[in-house]
Formats: sequence, structure tokens, C-alpha cells
Amino acid sequence: MNNPIVKIGGRLALICAVAALVLGVVNALTEPQIARIKAEKLKAALETVSGGRKTGEAVAVDNNPVVDRYYPVYGDDDQIVGYVCQLLGSGYGGTIVILGGYDLKGTVLAAKMMDNEETPGLGKEAEKASYMEKYVGTGGDKPVPVRKSMLTTEQSDSVTGASITFMGVGKALQEGSRFVVSLEGK
Amino acid sequence: MWKEFTKGLFRENPIFVIVLGLCPTLGVSSRVINALGMGAGVIFVLLCSNIFISLLKNFIPNQVRIPSYIVIIASFVTVVQMVMQAFLPDLYDSLGVFVPLIVVNCIILGRAEAFASKNGVGASILDALGMGIGFTLALTVISLVREVFGSGTITLFAFGDFDGVVRIPGIVDSPARVFVLAAGALLVMGYLKALVGIIQEKGGKG
Repeated sequence: MNNPIVKIGGRLALICAVAALVLGVVNALTEPQIARIKAEKLKAALETVSGGRKTGEAVAVDNNPVVDRYYPVYGDDDQIVGYVCQLLGSGYGGTIVILGGYDLKGTVLAAKMMDNEETPGLGKEAEKASYMEKYVGTGGDKPVPVRKSMLTTEQSDSVTGASITFMGVGKALQEGSRFVVSLEGK
Repeated sequence: MWKEFTKGLFRENPIFVIVLGLCPTLGVSSRVINALGMGAGVIFVLLCSNIFISLLKNFIPNQVRIPSYIVIIASFVTVVQMVMQAFLPDLYDSLGVFVPLIVVNCIILGRAEAFASKNGVGASILDALGMGIGFTLALTVISLVREVFGSGTITLFAFGDFDGVVRIPGIVDSPARVFVLAAGALLVMGYLKALVGIIQEKGGKG
């Protein structure tokens, strides 16, 4: 312990070890509650995005960087009438998770932003249901808006200050639409 | 010793006078509830980090004091993040990236380096409480101005039948949106800082 480097490094390592222990304990206490909240949020969001219809089990997608998984949506006669895709978009604060509901032609029926690190008051506005209205009805016959020039003046005002979030959501929904079309083409 | 508490409230207010922690100040001050949540988080982290850094000031080698402070501060921030995510999920979602950014909030590292590492536990607690409450008060005032004029609302915690949103008649239908944008944050911050400067100058002269 006479070596000053060992003494200095040892004390820093001890502080780090105690910090890791405390964080491990807090994580063990809070993790089940966090997992429960996430599961409840996903269930509620799936119900919203699927329009209250029955959804099937999640199917993981390995070969697509945007579409993480999808859920088939069933109609009254248990036929598949659409899909809900869990999409990974690129936002201002990092990856944004979006649930997009589509009909079989790839038209966006509803969308909801889930986990994200967007800026409060700006990109986080995309969590509001009204924000996603600009994407509804696009993807099939109409292109999904991915640039501000594709929006009306009023819609364009609503994304001012958060263009990266708007483009991230748009591009993810656009890829989801293509994916749904490719699923139906198989 | 009492002055260690009172100095942070106004005379050395971390936002309006020392001008520290402006990134979260400008980022989260679009709603009052965000200011209260962020303020509570900062008070907790500042209090805990000041206590531990003051207790460990003779144990932490001078050469690695900054990494040590960062580890201690980051640990308490992560505790706040996990607890908030588990028990206040709406507030956690609302504050977004600014909760982990408390780690690099200059107020916390600044008080650790300038005060807690040189003073006893009692004084460090009072310093943390004064600075933390001063930060929260300043943040709340900025948020109040921005939300009232920019959205026509005051968003607080929901309870019972109350949805947590107070709507201001006359403004809620036609708010001045610039207040909730980044430019509005800078304008409000600038005018309030000028106001505090005038009050302090007059107080000093008097």
C-alpha cells in the first residue's frame, strides 16, 4: 500500500464498488415495478393502436433495423385485418420506440410514441395523440410525411423546433408501411 | 451557519446569480410540474452528494477527487432515476433526458468542489438545501411565466377528480406560443435575471 498509485486507485475503486452495490440493491427493488408499468403501458398502447381489436402474439423481426417486432390484428371473424409494428426510429435524443397500426395495404391507422429521450416541450410533444394525426391515412395511397414540405402550414407549425423527431417518426412509420406490404406480398 | 442556507435562496441563487445549471433550466421549464419534479430530484442529489463528499473529504485523494465526485453524484442520480421510473412514471416520462443529465448539472459538481469538500457535514447540508431550494424556486418562477403565457395553463400534480391542470381564462385559447419554445425560455430567463440584478443592486445601495 506504499505505492501512491495503488492507494489512489484503490480508494477510487472502493468508492466505485460501494456505489455499484447501492445501485444493485435499488435496481433489485425497483425493477419488478418498472417492468410491470412497462407491460401495462404496452398493453394499453396496443389496444389504442389496434383500435380495440384483438392482437396476436408478438413476432420478432431479425432482418430489419427499423421493425423490431409485429403483432397481427384480428377482425371479428378471426381473420388478420392489419398489423401493429413496434418500430425503432431515430430521434433527437436517441432511439425512439413507436407503435404503428396498419391495415393490410400499409396505411397508417394509428400511431403512438413509446420509450424516448426527446426534449420536453419539443420532441416530446410527439407523445400526444394529436401529434400523430398527421401520419394517419398515409402509407397506402398517400406517402408518409417525412419532410416539413409535405405538411400543411398548421401541421408544419406543430413540428417547429422538433424537426428531427418529426422525420424520425415519419421514416419509421414509412418503413413499417413497407414492411406490412411485404408481409402481405409473401 | 444559517447564512449557508439563506445565501442560495436569493443572494447567491444558482440560476439567477451564479448562472449554473442552465441546460435543464431552459429545457424543462415549459411546465410547472416539470420544474417541481426536477427541483425535487436536484435537492435530493445535491443533499446526498454534499453529505457524502463532506464525510469522505479526507478519504478521497486529491488527484482523483473529480472522478470520485462524479461517481457519487451519478450514483444518486441513478437512484433518483430508478425510483422515479418505478413510482412516478408520468413525471419520469415528462422530464425525459434531463433526469440523467442531473449528473452533469454544474450546480451539484460546483457545490461538491467549492463547498462540501472543504466544510463539515452540517454546513454542507445547509448549503445543499439552500442551493437546491433556490434552484427549485428559480426554476418554478421561470416555468410559471412560460406556462401561463405560452400555454394558458398551470400544470400541477393530479389528485382525485382534479386533472392537475389549472386553465387560465383568456389565455388558454390564444396563448403566446413563443414562451414554450427555446427562444421564450431564453427571453424569460434573461428578463428575470435582469430583475433579480436590479433588486440586488437597489438592495446593495440601500
